[in-house]
Amino acid sequence: MTSHQSVVGRVIRVLFLTLWAVITLFPLYWITITSFKTPGAIFSYPLAYWPEEFSLENYIGLFQKAQFGTYILNSLTVSTAAAAVATLIAMLSGYVLARFEFRSKSAVLLAFLVTQMIPSFIALGPLYLLMVQLGLVDQKLGLVLIYIAVCIPVSTVMLRGFFANVPDALEEAALIDGCSRLTALFRVIAPVMKPGIIAAFIFNFVNCWNELFLSVTLMNSDENRTIPTALNAFITSFNIEWASMAAAAVLTILPTMVLFAFASRYIVQGLTAGAVKG
Amino acid sequence: MKLRKALTGITLSLATAIAMTGCTSPAADGTVTLQMVESLTNPARTQVLKSLIADFEAKNKGVKVQLVSPPTDQADQKLQQMLQAGSGIDVLEVRDLTVGPFSKNGWLYDMSHDLDGWTGWGALTENAAKFSKNAEGKSYFVPYGFYGLSLFYRSDLVKEAGFNAPPNSWQELLQQATAIQDPSKKRYGYAFRGGKNGYTNVTVAIEAYVADQIDVNNAYKLSSGKSIFSAPEAREALKTYFALFKQASPPSSVAWGYPEMVEGFSNGSTAFLLQDPEVIATVGQSKAIGKDQWTTAPMLVGPTGKAIQPMATAGWGVASSSKHKQEAVKLIKFLSEGEASIRFTKENSLVPILKEAVDDEFYKVGAWKSYVTMNQKPDVYITAVQPRDASWWTEWAQKADTEVQQVLAGKMSQEELLASWDKYWTEKWAK
Amino acid sequence: MTQTALPTKGRPTSGLGAPSGPRKRTFTVTRGLIVLAFMAPAVIFVAIFTYYPMISGSQMAFRKWNLADLTDTSWVGFDNFTAIFTDPTFFTVLGNTAIWVFASIIPQLLIGFALALWLRRRFRFRGVYQALIFFPWAISGFLIGIVFRWMFNGEFGVINDLLVKIGIVDTPVPWLAKPGTAMFALVVANVWYGVTFFAIMILAALQSVPDELYEAAALDGASKPRVLFQITIPQIATTLALTVLLRVIWIFNFPDIIYAMTGGGPANQTHIVTTWMIETTQRGDYGHASATGLIVVAVLLVFSAFYLLALRERKEVRS
Repeated sequence: MTSHQSVVGRVIRVLFLTLWAVITLFPLYWITITSFKTPGAIFSYPLAYWPEEFSLENYIGLFQKAQFGTYILNSLTVSTAAAAVATLIAMLSGYVLARFEFRSKSAVLLAFLVTQMIPSFIALGPLYLLMVQLGLVDQKLGLVLIYIAVCIPVSTVMLRGFFANVPDALEEAALIDGCSRLTALFRVIAPVMKPGIIAAFIFNFVNCWNELFLSVTLMNSDENRTIPTALNAFITSFNIEWASMAAAAVLTILPTMVLFAFASRYIVQGLTAGAVKG
Repeated sequence: MKLRKALTGITLSLATAIAMTGCTSPAADGTVTLQMVESLTNPARTQVLKSLIADFEAKNKGVKVQLVSPPTDQADQKLQQMLQAGSGIDVLEVRDLTVGPFSKNGWLYDMSHDLDGWTGWGALTENAAKFSKNAEGKSYFVPYGFYGLSLFYRSDLVKEAGFNAPPNSWQELLQQATAIQDPSKKRYGYAFRGGKNGYTNVTVAIEAYVADQIDVNNAYKLSSGKSIFSAPEAREALKTYFALFKQASPPSSVAWGYPEMVEGFSNGSTAFLLQDPEVIATVGQSKAIGKDQWTTAPMLVGPTGKAIQPMATAGWGVASSSKHKQEAVKLIKFLSEGEASIRFTKENSLVPILKEAVDDEFYKVGAWKSYVTMNQKPDVYITAVQPRDASWWTEWAQKADTEVQQVLAGKMSQEELLASWDKYWTEKWAK
Repeated sequence: MTQTALPTKGRPTSGLGAPSGPRKRTFTVTRGLIVLAFMAPAVIFVAIFTYYPMISGSQMAFRKWNLADLTDTSWVGFDNFTAIFTDPTFFTVLGNTAIWVFASIIPQLLIGFALALWLRRRFRFRGVYQALIFFPWAISGFLIGIVFRWMFNGEFGVINDLLVKIGIVDTPVPWLAKPGTAMFALVVANVWYGVTFFAIMILAALQSVPDELYEAAALDGASKPRVLFQITIPQIATTLALTVLLRVIWIFNFPDIIYAMTGGGPANQTHIVTTWMIETTQRGDYGHASATGLIVVAVLLVFSAFYLLALRERKEVRS
């Protein structure tokens, strides 16, 4: 096709891609620049597109005044645990939904779809009460359990699509060899759909990493705070600490950005495997 | 049997998750842990509170206090959830706004018996003692300090614009702010409050214009029994007040709430700000304007020559679901007397609750001077009670804010606003 | 709420589409047990931590439940719903929600589609490019709201500064202070965030289109637009349709950016149903708020049902 490509088309393409890259990256650039200005300098006019001196004050403050290291660790722990368990559970349910016919199947799928329509605010109060009864308020385990439940529906449906694309023959051979369903699932099918599983895990991870309202509701102590809560706390009743917020934002975005950069190929590959053909 | 393997797998991964998170179990040695929840959270105040708590713990072996500091945005909702659940909360921040509904719902513990014979009573100012008991003699909270408005202004900009004194009345404020406004230099006159709780400043202006006829026990009422919004003077007040927005404020201030307006002042872009004393500390830390560039002036008067000071307060109370009420009251007593209270009000710059603090040198200089002036002239700066304990207050606040923004956006006239507010309160009072 | 991909195997028979894979097999006890055991963890988690709180929260919709006075929480039937439907603000908010959803989704779809088409071809640094532009999707809505609020700041915002420098406007625009411009700013932030989602989904779908189809078209000498409309789009139509549906549901229910940027102001002009619901909760009227929540679920269910039905009919007509 390349040979047919006209010069005009090529120019348009390059222009579009460049423009979009600029638009996408600009907010990141701007928040990074802001984070290196001193709290006084961010309000100086004219705006500085490149700070005269790079100040680390905001970053140091994050670790001295607030326990930002702890928050990062908390978010990492909770998100990893929840995403891993949810992906595992979704593999089981996605597999069954792809391979078996049973009576309540459409009901389950409908129930999973409806979870996406419920505004989470409706359930916050009762959820808090439930966690009180379970003794799980202000504990990371409590948050992990809820995040697992939040992640399951979509990752189930997603993995179901991937399973459906893996030929039956593969596991049938394994089953004839005397493997159990479970061994067949994890030893034979899972390796084939690795990109899909990785994609599901990353989606789950990102969702948990970014979640704010549930985390605020369930966590009390500073030791258990996650990053989104900490970010929200920079808006105090009488001040918005833009400079600290910018530094915290950079530290929050970086890990997910790196993760996405490494995994973007897997994500597209994984989704391709499960994609629909008209 | 492979099934069991599957379940074992899941259990194992769950167990790993649990191990990773590490559960905390209650201490078995009889130590009492109090959960204390604040709602007007800000990092500087949290620091002060933590250090006061450490002092308390040192003096009271066997009592530990865990301070919960949710982000302000979410704090009220979280607090309500904890109270509804009736668990995990012993001491909490109670405000004049919340004491009504909280006590009605049975969430607050009446401390009056525990405070009987408390040595601290004598040290409280008249206002602090008054607010510690409600009309029925019940003590749902002890105030930790008071809020009251004063006019923050940039002395350098006022001088530059050719005025030798800060404005005394709303009319003068309009004049000076208009003279200072120069958008091309990123300099604006007034830090207008158009966003959250913007209606409070509208009512402050109206009250100053009807100060002669106001019912001091209900600042929304005239002594005639009608609402202040029905008075013809209210129209004059709105004309001046909204002119401030048109002529002398940053256009984006339509959306400004507390944090944005304070920021607008402390980043050096606006010259005037009507705010609580808390802001003295915040502006004091500003890197954009120096200590010699700003101070405060007393509240703005209306054509009456008088102003109404909307007194607001907050304090500490005990949750009725608390299992450690004795210790909780002990903590509140500790915070409400002596050094602890003085430190708290000074470092957060609040109007103090202790008589001895009022005489402190700290409150007589700099930005605090205007508060002394206002205290000395109670017939000019009249303290009147805002009906903030009304159970419909939050509903009112949202309605009023929306309508103020509609006026700013030109979708509602000033007369319509007054008529709507008058109707609202007249109907509520008739019920 | 959750934002992830939902690829579904084609030919949906019911609304949700049964995968074409499974073949009818005789039901045996072992198979029943496997279904039960494999489904159990997922169903149990969702039942306990999603459905139980939701149902428990829903009952408040039919009661008087105001934090201003919880001494009276009597059942009031549909009073809360009546109150909502007679409140003119509700219809403003509904209108805003429609604008928010469609003004966001159309540019997202178009830009995402264009990106995917161009990214499908190999070029130097494609991997790097992809890695660089896919990240917005990994950022939380709240954070995006904060970043854009900072950039759209009326006095110190970089967007005003750039526009003035370029000469598009003379004086800074108070973006978030005026109803129209505030909604525009919100949509810009949402488009920035959501394009990636479409790009990824469409790119994945494009890669599953067999190359032979294109080769055949090339041999026939088909023009580019013809290839696009007669091969590419029909081939990925189902993915497109389902992705759009999912995005509609998510964006409808997506308060984070608005919550962080305008909080629904000025004068309720940027409230969507969910942010309005948050505000109702803050006022303490939980009965009203949970009735609003139920209305959201109902609206989305009805919309999805019609959408999927329409999709199915078109498909039947075509085949």
